[in-house]
Amino acid sequence: MATVLVRRPVLAAPGQGGGRVTGTGTLLRFMLRRDRIRFPAWTLGLALLMGYFATALETFVESPADLEGLTAFSGSPAGALFGGPGFGFDDLTIERFLAGQYGLYVAIGAGLMGLLTVVRHTRAEERSGRAELIRASVVGRHAQLTAVLALAATMAAVVAILIGGLMASRGYGLGGSLLFGASVGAVALVFAGVAAVTVQLSEYPRAASGTAGALLGVAFVLRGLGDMAAAQGSGASWLSWLSPVGWSQQTAPYVHDRWWPLVISLAFALTAVAAGYALSARRDFGAGLVPPRPGPARAAAWLDGPLALAFRLHRASLIGWSVGLLAAGLAYGSFTQPLLDGFTDAPEDMVAIMGGAENLLDGYLGTMGLTMALAVGVYAVLAMQTLRSEESEGRAESVLATAVSRSAWIGSHLVVTAVGVPWLLLVAGAGMGVGAAVSTGDAGSFGGLLLGHVAHTPAVWLLLAAAAVLYAVAPRVLPLIWVVLGYGLIVGYFAPILEIPASAVRLSPFAHVGEHPLEEVSVVAVLVLTMLAAVTAQVARLVFRRDVVGRT
Amino acid sequence: MTTAIDIQHIDKRFGRIKALDGLDLRVETGTVHGFLGPNGAGKSTTIRILLGLLRADRGRVQLLGGDPWADAVRLHRRLAYVPGDVELWPNLTGGEAIDLFARLRGGTDPVRRDELCQRFDLDPRKKGRTYSKGNRQKVALIAALASDVDLLLLDEPTAGLDPLMEAVFQECIREACAAGRTVLLSSHILAQVEVLADQISIIRQGRIVETGSLTDLRHLTRTSVDAIVDSSAAQLATLAGVHGLQDIDGHVRFEVDGEHLAVVVRHLGDLGVRGLTVRPPTLEQLLLRHYGDESTRHGAVA
Repeated sequence: MATVLVRRPVLAAPGQGGGRVTGTGTLLRFMLRRDRIRFPAWTLGLALLMGYFATALETFVESPADLEGLTAFSGSPAGALFGGPGFGFDDLTIERFLAGQYGLYVAIGAGLMGLLTVVRHTRAEERSGRAELIRASVVGRHAQLTAVLALAATMAAVVAILIGGLMASRGYGLGGSLLFGASVGAVALVFAGVAAVTVQLSEYPRAASGTAGALLGVAFVLRGLGDMAAAQGSGASWLSWLSPVGWSQQTAPYVHDRWWPLVISLAFALTAVAAGYALSARRDFGAGLVPPRPGPARAAAWLDGPLALAFRLHRASLIGWSVGLLAAGLAYGSFTQPLLDGFTDAPEDMVAIMGGAENLLDGYLGTMGLTMALAVGVYAVLAMQTLRSEESEGRAESVLATAVSRSAWIGSHLVVTAVGVPWLLLVAGAGMGVGAAVSTGDAGSFGGLLLGHVAHTPAVWLLLAAAAVLYAVAPRVLPLIWVVLGYGLIVGYFAPILEIPASAVRLSPFAHVGEHPLEEVSVVAVLVLTMLAAVTAQVARLVFRRDVVGRT
Repeated sequence: MTTAIDIQHIDKRFGRIKALDGLDLRVETGTVHGFLGPNGAGKSTTIRILLGLLRADRGRVQLLGGDPWADAVRLHRRLAYVPGDVELWPNLTGGEAIDLFARLRGGTDPVRRDELCQRFDLDPRKKGRTYSKGNRQKVALIAALASDVDLLLLDEPTAGLDPLMEAVFQECIREACAAGRTVLLSSHILAQVEVLADQISIIRQGRIVETGSLTDLRHLTRTSVDAIVDSSAAQLATLAGVHGLQDIDGHVRFEVDGEHLAVVVRHLGDLGVRGLTVRPPTLEQLLLRHYGDESTRHGAVA
């Protein structure tokens, strides 16, 4: 008889450091399997966005004069605020403009990719209870965090290689292309590290991604202030060096080709990750660092119907958005005077190109109105997504088993969100108005700013109603609404530069009301959009009324 | 006697899977009706159709004299529902959720609510996300039992409750019944339903295979007996209702029909019992015994 020798897996000896990360490899493969769509969608999506910018710009720029026209805006403080430090813009090439102006947005996207990936596989898993099953198997305490960081690092590397390769393949300098790719990837890495810390703090995945996202916003604003100061040649240009996004931009691809700022990024990411590990060892599984407190034993008297319930469920998010938009409004409003100063110092012909200093102010304030409208659009879409989780997590069923009709259920959430839209625009506009008034010492623009912000309400309503229809048809198609929002953003910011035809621009719901105070508010557009939104919301209600509950 | 629930021959498909296949169910007003079936038999689908959350593909459904899909809101004022897997809002406390459900249903009795919180030993100040499964279940149970409704639809309501709380639950159901309420109690554990139900319906693969009072179903229940005796047990085999007797060196195993249990136990006593285990029939045993052939036939089709 033959003896069969069965080889048993060798277990890591207890007490060895390896025990804490046991199972990392298996978990990483598992995460890759779960993210088999998400991984290529993010990485390819970011590369394709960059490719789109490059193609569009190459189509548009036919002569050196076109390039000079670009410099006029992008080299100004306003251009620096929304683009970057503008290295080599005095001798502009297409690749310098791509890296200096559009690179910022791809980098922000990469940062979001990094932080969302980490939250998705750590705190979200713990919150749902799935991580408990994983951790009960032969898996080390740090395996999950280690695996997701490996995943995020891989995504960052893939983005870096794809973008670097894409740029190089278009004939731009190889060294600069690779550096540009790496600088985008570095932002993903840094914010993966930031998320490794924020997921330890709160029990909620949304709070973890919200905190990390807010820090990404702070990084954006800091480098904006610094770059603006640099473009003016005076002021606190060192602020850019406090921002992880700034470090990536300071590499100056195709100009100085410096790699060393990325060392700061890497060191920061590693420090954050180390902090994340340290914090995770100090807390219990499933808990945050802040312990929960007991709440009221009875419901408040006003909590007595579907509308009140919808308000109660959206209240926390509304408060958060109000605070965030107020802060953003104040920050951007306070940029107003530095912006104008930068412009009066600029050569006269440049002022003329922009239509004079007066129009520049209105143009800036109008653009900010649109920006805030897009941000409130994000709020509206996220509010609709909570409906999706109410249904998939079984809470909608419990409510609909009481004397609440389907119409009333979806309608109450729509009403609360719809009322939130003008409120948030008002808050953002007030923040901008106060910021601008303090900055310029002149409160004259306050009323116009409020109007310019609130006027976008019907556009956001239409977006909200369209999201509701998608949700009513099938919850899983709801994310398609992001396409409308993304389209509105590209059209709103880049239509003139990218020469998007007017007929295509009109497809965006945000392109009709007018960017007050630069343009007059179109009363017709406001009325038509409001009516369209009302009809669309009614369609959503009718579609939802006929459907069953508990769909995916 | 009026009918609270009257389902006639309903079908429900999910894609290619047939969840309900000509199901009939009648529940008389004021009774506790046990709705028994293994996991995936179609119990929750039936209850969701009764709630108007799903629509039957075919057949007729009457609930408290109305159409559950068309008159959902009006009917829901008169019923309360407890799902088998209660999900609460993570940032609302249990107390808030209980009040909310009661108010959404149209009425609340604060005294009864507090009394139930005490009986079920629930701390209503904790946030939804901090409750264990059993405690979430209590929240839904208290909300349902505290409301003044005609009908309770309970879908495996005690999943996750400890035996002590299970006893409290049984007490509350008896009180509800005494107050004239109708209860539809779904479960996959026969013993749980037996103690409460006046009538029992057994669902299997989307259709009712057996329905009636407990006495009617007595022929279905067969108890397993496992005993260690001093003298030979061969004579037991001659008794009516005894099946599958095995006697190995005084270790006796057999099964006995419910109606003959008393006689058999008396005989068993005479044999000098030194150890005795008696197990009530489980639903699975029962289904296997009576519908074993059908299961293979269905399996071949599916």
